[in-house]
Amino acid sequence: MTRADRLLAVGILALALAIGPVVSGALAFVPASTVMIKGPSGTTEVPLGTDASLRVTGLGGDVRVVLKSGQVRVEESSCPDHVCVRSGAISSAGQALTCIPNGVTVRIGGERDDGLDAVAR
Amino acid sequence: MDSTLSHASVSAGVSAKVTRRTVLSGVLLAGACILGLLEASVASPVPGVRLGLANIAVLVALVVLGRGQALAVSLLRVAIVGIATGSLFGPTSALAITGALASWLAMAATLGSRARFSLVGVSIAGAAAHVLAQFGTAAFITGAPGVLSFASVALVASLLFGIATGLSARFVISRLEGSTLTGR
Repeated sequence: MTRADRLLAVGILALALAIGPVVSGALAFVPASTVMIKGPSGTTEVPLGTDASLRVTGLGGDVRVVLKSGQVRVEESSCPDHVCVRSGAISSAGQALTCIPNGVTVRIGGERDDGLDAVAR
Repeated sequence: MDSTLSHASVSAGVSAKVTRRTVLSGVLLAGACILGLLEASVASPVPGVRLGLANIAVLVALVVLGRGQALAVSLLRVAIVGIATGSLFGPTSALAITGALASWLAMAATLGSRARFSLVGVSIAGAAAHVLAQFGTAAFITGAPGVLSFASVALVASLLFGIATGLSARFVISRLEGSTLTGR
């Protein structure tokens, strides 16, 4: 490995270490009392405190979202790679789970009213 | 008579070169597709973490054949693997295409840059660019920037697998030197 390689590797490591705290820091201000479930057929909001098992209709089949003691996870999905299931549980503001093949996104914290989200997108 | 003969041999030399390039492109594309299919059948334990095996073929194409052929190998691989796995034109294709484009761009830039990157450096640049582009696209599609927080683990993994694919590509290129495929 050359010097340039090593610098690049250190840069990537630094970015990897920084990206988690930066994203969660930037999203900590989103109110985190609701869970927003966005699917191809519409958006639903559920209070985070509820315990429920929801069946969301995705593009290629169903996605089952489970809410339990303030945590949300995708328990089952019809998608081929199950990235959503392996993402585990989320519980704090701004965190999100997504099943790209099914077009389903589960996110803690509803839409913001101040228009900042529209800019960030 | 003499001049026609020498002209014929020159054009034969040129066409042999073109044929070699075409054959090698095809071989690399086939290799990329097989590695891509192999990888599609391996379930990744953590979101965004992938071996990036197909990148070996793209990296070899980039070094031996140049930027244009590498881009062709990369994009055609995405299309063929997409058809084979049935995910072409689905929402996941957007991730595969942006990942492939970003990775090619990063590798072409690092390979051509004045800072001296070895193949391992070029490979890790491509792997990291792939991860960042995929997570960026996912955040854009879903409108949920929170998915970006999963990128940390994937970036660290991209570093390790990038080193491995870079070393593999170097091995393949060293074997290609002096083979009839490259004509060198």
